[in-house]
Amino acid sequence: MPRHLLPLSLVLATAGLLVLGAPAPVLAHAEAGHAGGFLSGLLHPVSGLDHVVAMVAVGLWGVVLGPPALWLLPVAFPLVMALGGLLGMLGVPIPGVEIGIAVSGLAMGLMVLFEIRAPLALAALVVAAFAVFHGHAHGAELPSGGDALLYSLGFVIATGLLHLTGILIGEARRWRGGRALARGAGAVIALVGLLFLQKALA
Amino acid sequence: MIRPPGWCWCLPLAHAPVTGLGAWADGAARLLLEPTDLLLAIALVLLALQHGPRTLERLWWRVPAGWLAGALVGVALPRELLVAPLLSAALTALALLVSFRIPLPPRALLALLPLGAAGFAVVSGSAMAGHSGGLAVVLAEALTLGLVTGLLASALALLRVGWGPIAIQVAGSWIAATALLLLGWQLRHPS
Repeated sequence: MPRHLLPLSLVLATAGLLVLGAPAPVLAHAEAGHAGGFLSGLLHPVSGLDHVVAMVAVGLWGVVLGPPALWLLPVAFPLVMALGGLLGMLGVPIPGVEIGIAVSGLAMGLMVLFEIRAPLALAALVVAAFAVFHGHAHGAELPSGGDALLYSLGFVIATGLLHLTGILIGEARRWRGGRALARGAGAVIALVGLLFLQKALA
Repeated sequence: MIRPPGWCWCLPLAHAPVTGLGAWADGAARLLLEPTDLLLAIALVLLALQHGPRTLERLWWRVPAGWLAGALVGVALPRELLVAPLLSAALTALALLVSFRIPLPPRALLALLPLGAAGFAVVSGSAMAGHSGGLAVVLAEALTLGLVTGLLASALALLRVGWGPIAIQVAGSWIAATALLLLGWQLRHPS
């Protein structure tokens, strides 16, 4: 373990907690009545911290796993997420969606923090399973009216850009101190996931 | 000024954004603001590119040509074809071919590019059926589609970077996911 890891992780984790402690946090799936349209779709995933951290974690974990997971996970996630969205829109119930979303952040954050290199098939399976929860939550709350296609397009692009953000953070591992940064980001993600899990179980 | 009925620039059209700049601008705007057909064209171009840059250079024009032929058939139909979920499912399947990088036999690709575009265009054109400015709208849309497809094909054919194939697969997955969400929305709101 690099000597500088813990202090940086600690700093990032503290920063994460400060963000969470900020008043009136904006949570995913809380907004209602948004009109459709590209911009609404683009902004929807970034409006909730639980969704954001999980999306970023997918990219980060992809970097930890290396190719081909680096690109396979971000390819698989939107597809399975959309499938979950389809189920949500059709009213097919999936139990424990909010718990699943929170666990996704916690689990993938820990994967990144401890640099767990799962086999590709297992990693894809884990990410896909979590993607169903995220998609279902968003699909069930997709606003009526507006332009569904542009909304969906914006939503998927935003999700992809969050994966890309995770990949870029992960790519910092090449630099001195970058590995600690990536693991610190994993720690923050895991903490955020834990907090949302506590809320979901409360 | 006397214009043939198909070229009236003043009537608001169903399923076409009214830009106030005439039917030609409405057609171009329709392609960009209701981009199902644009996504289809992009998916077809990406599919062709996955079979090699030479394949793309040789075949890209089949997409706008097929679209134009289909749209002309569609606009001549007596009424609109209401099969939007079917199109979304087809777009999902097509984009999945790209995202999973599934190779197609040359003949299948040769047929899929124009027929896929034409199939979508028949439905798209049928939305303009019975409207006096419908022909101008679909012609403008076909022209815009040809321009966009040509530019995209030219740019992508030059793409020689290592991450290019990955970016194409990612784009395919994004289109498939978008189409799948759209399908869900259409099934939820059948009207």
